[in-house]
Amino acid sequence: MIEVRDLTKTYGKKNNKFVALDDVSFEIPSGATVAIVGKSGSGKSTLMHAISGLDRPETGEVIIDGEDILKLKKKAVDTFRATKMSFIFQSFFVQANETCYDNVSLPLEIARVPKKDRKRRVTEALEAVELGDKIKSKARNLSGGQKQRLAIARAIVNKPKILFADEPTGNLDSTTGDVIEKLLFDYNKKQGTTLIIVTHDHELAEKCDLRVYIRDGKITEIKRKEAPKHTDKKPLGSSRRTV
Amino acid sequence: MKRRDIIRRAGRSLRQAKARTLLTSLAIGVGAFTLSVSLAAGEGSRQYADKLISSNVNSQALFVYKDKTLMGEGGFSSGGLKEYSDSTTQYGGLNLKSLTPKDLEVLSNDKDIEKVLPMYLVTAQYFTFEGKSKKYTADISVYDSTVRAEAAVGTLPPLGTQIKDDEIVVPESFLDTLGVKDKKSYVGKEVTLHLVKQKQPTEEEIAQVVKTQGPAALAQLVESEARDVTFRISGVTKNSATSLSASSALFIAENSAKELSDFLTEGTAKYQSYIAATAIVKAGVDPATVKARLAGKGMEARTAKDLQGLLFTIVNLLQGIVAGFGLLALFASIFGIINTQYISVLERTQQIGLMKALGMRSKDVAKLFRYEAAWIGFLGGVIGAATAWGLGTSLNPWITDQLGLGAGNHLLVFLPLPIVALVVGLMVIAVVAGYFPARKAAKLDPIEALRTE
Repeated sequence: MIEVRDLTKTYGKKNNKFVALDDVSFEIPSGATVAIVGKSGSGKSTLMHAISGLDRPETGEVIIDGEDILKLKKKAVDTFRATKMSFIFQSFFVQANETCYDNVSLPLEIARVPKKDRKRRVTEALEAVELGDKIKSKARNLSGGQKQRLAIARAIVNKPKILFADEPTGNLDSTTGDVIEKLLFDYNKKQGTTLIIVTHDHELAEKCDLRVYIRDGKITEIKRKEAPKHTDKKPLGSSRRTV
Repeated sequence: MKRRDIIRRAGRSLRQAKARTLLTSLAIGVGAFTLSVSLAAGEGSRQYADKLISSNVNSQALFVYKDKTLMGEGGFSSGGLKEYSDSTTQYGGLNLKSLTPKDLEVLSNDKDIEKVLPMYLVTAQYFTFEGKSKKYTADISVYDSTVRAEAAVGTLPPLGTQIKDDEIVVPESFLDTLGVKDKKSYVGKEVTLHLVKQKQPTEEEIAQVVKTQGPAALAQLVESEARDVTFRISGVTKNSATSLSASSALFIAENSAKELSDFLTEGTAKYQSYIAATAIVKAGVDPATVKARLAGKGMEARTAKDLQGLLFTIVNLLQGIVAGFGLLALFASIFGIINTQYISVLERTQQIGLMKALGMRSKDVAKLFRYEAAWIGFLGGVIGAATAWGLGTSLNPWITDQLGLGAGNHLLVFLPLPIVALVVGLMVIAVVAGYFPARKAAKLDPIEALRTE
């Protein structure tokens, strides 16, 4: 459960003051898929940064499993991100000079996972995105779609509770984008990880349980998915977590 | 993040920018090279000086003298106003206070001094070798029984034993100059020293003679007196690169030297006064303690270690100059590291942002860049030191040849420990240089870093 309460974030001073988030409040149930939808500059990225503890708004609370991460010390927030969160970005941010193994191993190293466990977990993560055969390839030799799959492997390797995806399909053609979407939603279903997608792609947003529309730093609308389209999908909020 | 993982990632980042890493390392390498050479040259010089002294001076020997100017204190050229002393001896144009018979007695009676050997000044006008018509000159010294010398031909007495009074030891180089082919058969041949004594009558004596015998008798009074002394060659010392005296003087026995010295100085102020003496301190007693005691009795003394110190001062100075250049090169390379690391931080903004987003602590990010700097320092140090070692070792024979140090002596002596210390030192310097770039990386805002637009 993520509770966002009264978040306000401003940039600049006095005359140049710009309100990126204006008193934003909403709740995300555990294991849900959420789309934060808005145009460029609407404040959707700032919201994601605030929820992930990367940014510190002036006021408000982000309560994750009963703990306000904005009140935590920097070190504790870092640990929180290293063990419970992951990111996927529009421009992948995979390290082109490094092998797939080293790319995926990074979050484990940061989380101080013992070396002996790393190999198995990296292999599992790469196999989950069907890159098992590329373990020793340099990331620069991968196609765009493969790079984003590599980024997903890196994101899921530390079994996060929350997975942030910032325009995950923005740099991909629709076919490849579909593959990535499927991977993300499947992972959400299988592992019960809360998936928060920041996007301006309404089609992608439609597939999420919860859609938070944001404009000029304010939430304009929150939409819940009506009747479940997929028959296999269990109702929201039920305990599906299998960590 | 664990230290080992950070170090590994730091090494990998450097490998991904090979050219840049190598060039930055080379800058440090130049400094490391110079410093290694200076260390090696210092060590080599010290070893050489050590060898030089130990093969010329007995470690238990004390060089005792009275006049401080003898050892350069106050400067050799100091011709300033000096207090007159009855025991002043003219030596080489210098007025030196000398050791009186009383001083020698004090030395002989010292409980820790085994033996006193005054520095006899025996100068022959010339000397001749049996079977050779030419006349020669050279220094004449007392055979030093406390220093091991090697015989080329003939025999030398065992360590601690003097040669016989009628014997003389000749350096091998003299026979080379003489053109002796069969050195072995030359042993047993005679050397004749031609000594001339210049009488130095005192003013009173002159006055006395003029008064009693008239001015004509004066000529007889200052007339020189000549004497030929013949010795038999008992041994020929081998040419040695480090033993200075062994290759430059004739050696006669102590008793003969005393006799000849007395003959040459009798009737002059120099008679039985010596500018210096060698006192052999008993085994097990530190010569320095005897030196301190002698200082209380108005005598100056130098231990073998002091003599070493004199040589080492020069060596240290030269080494310091070379090391100075090395440090200068290092100083320049520090800016190289700072520059390289700043560029690296700029280039890897996104990577740093990503690592921070994934929960890497700022402290660890700073560490990553500091370790990278340490790697550069390590690489530069190893490159510089290895080059110096390889080049120095291969050039050593040539240098030895050019400087005439003698076989077995090397100017550049590389020891592992100082080299390791140097490399570690360079790593520390590199880390210090990498401080500012590392701080920049640590302070980087991940949100800014990951902004794609």
